[in-house]
Amino acid sequence: MNSELTVIAIILAALAFNYLLLYPKIAGDDVKKMATYDAILSLVVFGIVALIFMGSDEVFNLFWIETNWVIYTIAVGVAIEFPLFFYYIKARGLGAKYLEMTFGTKGSWYGEANPKSVQKQLNDTKWDGLRTPSAKKFLVIATNLVILFGTVFLIQVDESPWASYSIIHVILILSFWFLLRQSVRLVADAPDQALDERLIADRNQSYLYAYRWLAALSSLSAIGLLIFAITSDVQNETTAEFYYNLEISWPQIQAAFWLIFAYTNMLPSMVLAWKQSKRRVVLH
Amino acid sequence: MSRKPKSEQEQIANAVEQARTNAGLSRQELADQVGVHYQTIGYIERGEYSPSLVLALNTAAAPKQDVEDLFWIDED
Repeated sequence: MNSELTVIAIILAALAFNYLLLYPKIAGDDVKKMATYDAILSLVVFGIVALIFMGSDEVFNLFWIETNWVIYTIAVGVAIEFPLFFYYIKARGLGAKYLEMTFGTKGSWYGEANPKSVQKQLNDTKWDGLRTPSAKKFLVIATNLVILFGTVFLIQVDESPWASYSIIHVILILSFWFLLRQSVRLVADAPDQALDERLIADRNQSYLYAYRWLAALSSLSAIGLLIFAITSDVQNETTAEFYYNLEISWPQIQAAFWLIFAYTNMLPSMVLAWKQSKRRVVLH
Repeated sequence: MSRKPKSEQEQIANAVEQARTNAGLSRQELADQVGVHYQTIGYIERGEYSPSLVLALNTAAAPKQDVEDLFWIDED
């Protein structure tokens, strides 16, 4: 059996187990269980394929594209399961439940917090230690240090074993994102219906400043890239055409991805936390 | 005519805290009646936030006051 058929056979076996046994017999109409089983079985499939092909130079033909086992397994797995999944969901009438679980309320798929969770957060005292002015200031400074240190470190270490720091980098970014959101009670990501007029004004102002910071950072990065390309061209005398050579390794791609991800998602909360940290409360 | 910078805008003074305590209401109770977070009442009482007209009218209605008795422009 060739490599492509081996992967397809493993995927089909897993899907048969899922859709003929696990989903109908055990998960029933519980979409959370379905999602959990799906995630576990996907990992199992990936693990089995990895055991067979990891470390090999096997080339997988995905139509007209030559690729490796990782991309092939993901692409073929998604392509086979998607129609099956939609057919199953439709046949059992689970569409609305699945959408609610996946997206929550309108807007939650792009990071907007759920009104219920915001209401809970607004009255919550569990994370009050993160809500003092000094804690907020510390969180904002520490988050920026974590993002910038990780980015510079991953760019510098390139393909060396130190590149595995990317896992710690991701965990740290997600942890600080979580803590920042707790410290501002999810207000920066909250929909209008969860906030009163003062909180809406606070949230809107934080977005204005966050956008200005994002524009400044993006512009600086774009200018840096432009200067790099022009400098490369000026220094190169071998060709008359415009010349630049930008080689980027996988850890460097990760550094760039997490830098953009972190700032685009965390800046509103950072700005709000910083603004709140400056506030002096006068107790009567 | 251009808008004044925020730092030069007139400050809104208020007597919300006095009216609230006279009516025997806690911040949370007043907040529940007017539909805001209890911290927003604190912000208003301290003069750190100037409410919208609707919120000012609702805040005055809860302890049965006239809005002009609760909010005025601070001339000082």
